[in-house]
Amino acid sequence: MSDTILWYTTRGAGAVSMILLSAVVVLGVLSSLRFHSAGWPRFLTPALHRNLALMTLVFLALHVVTAVVDPFTHLGWVAAIVPFSSYYHTVWLGLGTIAFELLVAIAVTSLLRDVIGQAAWRAIHWLAYASWPVAVIHGFGTGTDALSAWFVVLSIVCVVSVTIAIVYRLLQPPADPLASARGEFRSGVSRRPNQ
Amino acid sequence: MSGPRLLAGPDLGAGAEGYADHVRRLGPTTLAGRALIEALVRSGVTGRGGASFPAGLKWRALAATSKGSAVIVVNGAEGEPQSHKDRLLMRTRPHLILDGAFLAARTLRAASVVVYVGEEHRAAYAAMERALRERPEAERRVARMAAAPHRYVAGESSAAVHLIDGGIATPTTTPPHSRERGVAAAPTLMQNVETLAHIALIARYGDAWYRSMGRRGAAGTLMVTIAGGVKKPGVLEIEAGITIGEAVAMAGGLSEPAAAVLLGGYFGAWMPAVKAWELPLDAEALRAGGLGLGCGVIGVQPASRCGVCDTARIMRYLAEESSAQCGPCFFGLRALSDACSRVAERGTNRDDMARLKRWAVEVQGRGACKHPDGAVMFLRSALSTFSDEFASHPAHWRQQPA
Repeated sequence: MSDTILWYTTRGAGAVSMILLSAVVVLGVLSSLRFHSAGWPRFLTPALHRNLALMTLVFLALHVVTAVVDPFTHLGWVAAIVPFSSYYHTVWLGLGTIAFELLVAIAVTSLLRDVIGQAAWRAIHWLAYASWPVAVIHGFGTGTDALSAWFVVLSIVCVVSVTIAIVYRLLQPPADPLASARGEFRSGVSRRPNQ
Repeated sequence: MSGPRLLAGPDLGAGAEGYADHVRRLGPTTLAGRALIEALVRSGVTGRGGASFPAGLKWRALAATSKGSAVIVVNGAEGEPQSHKDRLLMRTRPHLILDGAFLAARTLRAASVVVYVGEEHRAAYAAMERALRERPEAERRVARMAAAPHRYVAGESSAAVHLIDGGIATPTTTPPHSRERGVAAAPTLMQNVETLAHIALIARYGDAWYRSMGRRGAAGTLMVTIAGGVKKPGVLEIEAGITIGEAVAMAGGLSEPAAAVLLGGYFGAWMPAVKAWELPLDAEALRAGGLGLGCGVIGVQPASRCGVCDTARIMRYLAEESSAQCGPCFFGLRALSDACSRVAERGTNRDDMARLKRWAVEVQGRGACKHPDGAVMFLRSALSTFSDEFASHPAHWRQQPA
């Protein structure tokens, strides 16, 4: 296989991963709003969130594997696993390693949610808020394309989308559709304190 | 020996039998410990709260896990609207129930006994409270009363545990089952009041005596509530295994022609009257046919009433009794109830019928407790029993709530 193809694949898969990961974060941020309409049933948000997340991992694997096996880079597998161990862009590449490993942790705990319990899963899932910005910074610092116009536009779109989603979510009141009904039922069956 | 067992003794109209009279009439219990558990297993006596689980197996499991910390919950919540048998028993034979409860406490080395009675059953609550005060000091010390809120799900075992522990009678997820981790996280025996009363008699006369009544392979007696189109509706103690037709005859026979029977209350199933007539009232035999005895309610639906309208009314009730914890139950039952009401009020339409059939399957198994499952099984039995009525229901709401 030509070295150039590997090099292009690394860059392409990296860019696609950023788009996908940003979409995953947007859907994750918005999922608690329980948005739904006639054309968008409620299960679609979490289902899409999960499927895009798995797809992100596939492209990230492609991104990492093609970068490592590219004979031109001499990166080696250690750099892909141990952060800040690479001779090339030590800091920027190390951030990519960290972002990837955080995502793997999030994915693995999501698959094992029934085993580890809801509280532990949720705590680890908060790491997504660390993984995404670290990954974007990694793209800016390491990327061969970081200064090309298309990549800059893409990055800005991703950052703006996630920012809008977070701001929108923070401005919304909690949207638990059962909250009032549950409260009503509970006040009907509550015998606190000592009956 | 035939005739009533739990309801034997002084006239029921005289109210609760006092402790002294109870002991004089029945004498002390003779079986205890391991021998009692094995007698219960051999007797085949089942839980009468609705699940019909063999009591002996329950006790055996509890005996293995109890390390002196177990809790006995006497379940007299009786939230099923048509059922009256538990409150009748509590009002008239409270000491039979308490005998069973304290036998359980001794046999399973329990630390405490909680008597859980529906707050709306005032007479039953007062009778149990008074009976508790008449018991010997050693028993009184470990027992207390707890009032079950007047909601359908309050008698469900995890809801009962939740109320006794946390003060809120909403169901919680299972597992763990209360048998393993119930009140105060201890293994908990949750037993219906009628079951405990049967156990009090088995502890006196043995399992062979228990089995000496019962027909068609069934054992013992059952308390049932016969409601609807019969001449003398009310609570009866019947020989297990008699048919629904025979039980209806004991209730004075039909007051008008019957179309269907709702067996087991709102958590049960509709069936055409002709099919119901031959069915034996025996949990095991019914289970073989995919049915259940539930809490022993036999609701006789007269042919003059509209099955669609009654189904819509009961679905509305069940939807409103959702504890609003699980979305599929809260929204699913409301959507089903709305569709059912539209058919009842505005007449059959193809969209709502398709929705009913589809959603009745989709809601199944998606609650923390069995409330949505019971409601959709009830609905599915209505759709098949009243299939003709549902297929061409005119726009009317024929009956107001019975």
